[in-house]
Amino acid sequence: MTSPAPTAEPLLSAGRSPTRPGRVTVPRRLGAALPTWDLIVTKHLELRKRRGLMITVAVMIIAPTVLIMGLRLGFHLFDPAHYGPAGSPSVFNAIANLMAEFGFIVAAVVGAAAATTDLNDGVFRYLVITGRSRLALYLARIPAGLAILISALAISFTMLCLVTAYESVPQPTTVSMNNNISVPAHLDQAQLQTWVGQHPRQAGQAFFDILSGPGSGQVQPNASVASTDFTQYTSAEDTQFNPAPNEMFKIGLWLGLEIGIGFLVGLGLGSLTGQRTLSTILLIGLEIIVTPILARAEIPYFLNGQRLDVGVAMDQLRPAALAPATPGGGGGPGGLLFGGRGALGIPPMPTWSMISVIVGWIVVWSVVGAWRMMTRDA
Amino acid sequence: MNAIDPRVISPHAYGAVRWAALATAAGQRIPFGAILLIVVLLGAAGFGISRTRRGRHGKERDDGWGRRNAPTAPPAPPVATVSATPPAAAISPEPPATADAAPAPPRTAHPIPAPTVAPDVTRTADSIPAPARTPRPATSFERPADGWAVETHGLTKRFGATVAVNGVELLVPRGVAFGYLGPNGAGKTTLIRTLLGLTRANGGTMSLLGIPVPAQRSLAQARVGAIVDEPRFHPHLTGRDNLRLLAAARGGDARQRIGPSLERVGLAERADDKVASYSMGMRQRLGVASCLLGDPELLILDEPMNGLDPAGMHEMRTMIISLVDEGRTVVLSSHLLDEVERTCDAVAIVDRGRVVRQGPIDELTRGTDAGSLLVDCADPARAARLIDEAGIAAGTSLTDAGLTVTLPAGSSRELVADINRRLVGSGISVYGLQETRASLEEWFLSVTTRLGENP
Repeated sequence: MTSPAPTAEPLLSAGRSPTRPGRVTVPRRLGAALPTWDLIVTKHLELRKRRGLMITVAVMIIAPTVLIMGLRLGFHLFDPAHYGPAGSPSVFNAIANLMAEFGFIVAAVVGAAAATTDLNDGVFRYLVITGRSRLALYLARIPAGLAILISALAISFTMLCLVTAYESVPQPTTVSMNNNISVPAHLDQAQLQTWVGQHPRQAGQAFFDILSGPGSGQVQPNASVASTDFTQYTSAEDTQFNPAPNEMFKIGLWLGLEIGIGFLVGLGLGSLTGQRTLSTILLIGLEIIVTPILARAEIPYFLNGQRLDVGVAMDQLRPAALAPATPGGGGGPGGLLFGGRGALGIPPMPTWSMISVIVGWIVVWSVVGAWRMMTRDA
Repeated sequence: MNAIDPRVISPHAYGAVRWAALATAAGQRIPFGAILLIVVLLGAAGFGISRTRRGRHGKERDDGWGRRNAPTAPPAPPVATVSATPPAAAISPEPPATADAAPAPPRTAHPIPAPTVAPDVTRTADSIPAPARTPRPATSFERPADGWAVETHGLTKRFGATVAVNGVELLVPRGVAFGYLGPNGAGKTTLIRTLLGLTRANGGTMSLLGIPVPAQRSLAQARVGAIVDEPRFHPHLTGRDNLRLLAAARGGDARQRIGPSLERVGLAERADDKVASYSMGMRQRLGVASCLLGDPELLILDEPMNGLDPAGMHEMRTMIISLVDEGRTVVLSSHLLDEVERTCDAVAIVDRGRVVRQGPIDELTRGTDAGSLLVDCADPARAARLIDEAGIAAGTSLTDAGLTVTLPAGSSRELVADINRRLVGSGISVYGLQETRASLEEWFLSVTTRLGENP
């Protein structure tokens, strides 16, 4: 009598050996909600081999850094007299902001693709037929897609940081303010107050808001530094100084969060609608039309509604060293995670609200996407 | 409506270009030169992708082994023995199976070689020998101790006001090829989708291999392989990568079976080509390979002959028979009556969402029409008179082909021998006797309601 084998017979030759009773091995975790490593790896493979998608990721996340930095390095190399070093605070800010905007959009595209390719290719039903938990199939898409996006971001942002740190203009020791008045760098508000007291005449020309009288150009030694003046000072710092390594790290984390949110929302929306194009268009609209409006213009009686936009919350969370793409933001408290000052043109929301909005978007869209996947006819 | 469909002109390129334009217009501080370069690159990439997409799905049909445009020939008409057994009635449903998951029964080993990978391209369906089929005992519709392969009671699925599956009572024995036969729109695919959990039933109970579903779906489906509608894969992946994807979902030893499965269906040499370059036949074979990843006890194949030319259909038939000979149960959904008749041991006829008959093919077709006997003899007129006077036939008629004797319902094969004896005994030379019976097709049309309806 044949004793039961510990594992299933892997071979499938036509002349297979007799079947033993109950010999079909059912993977113990087939119905489990957590995806297996194999499931994640193969989903990553499926996404990675979509050439158009990968070209989009590369072009929108990596290419701006490579092109801009490459051109600047080249110009400086061949004609240093006319072209300065490749790295500069303004270029860093421009590319980081570009990465944030393009990153969110491309993350939404990848998320929508991850959600819909199985459906559109007709493979979803065959995945369901395997008996694997639909939730596990959904959850496997998250690390698979994020692995692609985060690696692209890491490559691009590391390149940006390296060029900015090692191929940059010499860092000044002062901040150039209004009327080309130089103010010592890296002062906090109290230190700036002291400097104003010691240099009332220069302060009057550098900071218009602390003037003692119109047109006098003089301030009293005990004049207080307004918050707008300090904001103006720090903004000038951001555009004239390279971010410190720890600030770069914070900016990298913020960009990662931006991309992660874009991906998860795209995944959830794509799963809900089952349509990649529609989901992508909606999220592009959110990023480039809705969010700028909600973040910069206060709509009467709708302030709390504006704050529910994840883009608004993310703008408030923007790290201090990353100047907003469009200057003029009023600034919020931020500060909890990234020391940010925000780029908002509307009154900031409390920190707990900001975090709730961000977490809420992640959780709600993930739940909606997973629910739709679990209930959808395959 | 989307003015521009990104599926046609690279959606990413379109989205990025549009964003770049909008961002620039919004006055964001993006270097214009960088945007211009990105746009040019995206356009080039999109153009390249669009070009490669053209002509992806060729119109050529082949048999799934890479043989294209193989010559075709009509299938031979079925000729079978008339049986005296009375018509088979619809099988009475039994009480629902118990919920316990019984172990699979031992299978019989039948060392049948796998289908040849590259047979002679000049063969036609006529020249291909019939599949070697190991004799199996008559299909039993007694309830197996470990449960039916498929069992449904009162299974109902509605789409709004439309009832696609209407209280289906289905019993599929184990270890047989079972045809699920019905006209287009009868609810065949919907039933399969319901069984496999692809859509939810509105009523009734069901079990696969004795395991109740959906209560223990994962347990049941680990032992089931299926093709629904048509085999679909990611076209940008190779056949092997597609199987890797499905094997990862199955878990267990499925990954180790990728190679053997590809070998078995004759796709090993094309396994590393993208599925986009596969013909329909090759996709069907890859679909069967995907079914085999779980070493299933039950295979559910929905229209597996679709898109195959006669040679490909023959090979598919051979494979199905070999799978059954290994002890697996194959449920074959089809509207191709001839294919079902050639391949299956038992059938269920479905019409308008209801199973109207089920049982072994021989029993079902026997007695619906007694059939006839074509007699090639020296003196047909005298032979006809002789048979009429004997009163052993339901009728006789003289045609150009000779004498046709209509056999009475319930007659046995012994009657044919009796007619031969009488003719020879009367001095009439008999050159040949050809017995015909109602084909599955004729029987099918008689029990379904679609005959004469507009398609």
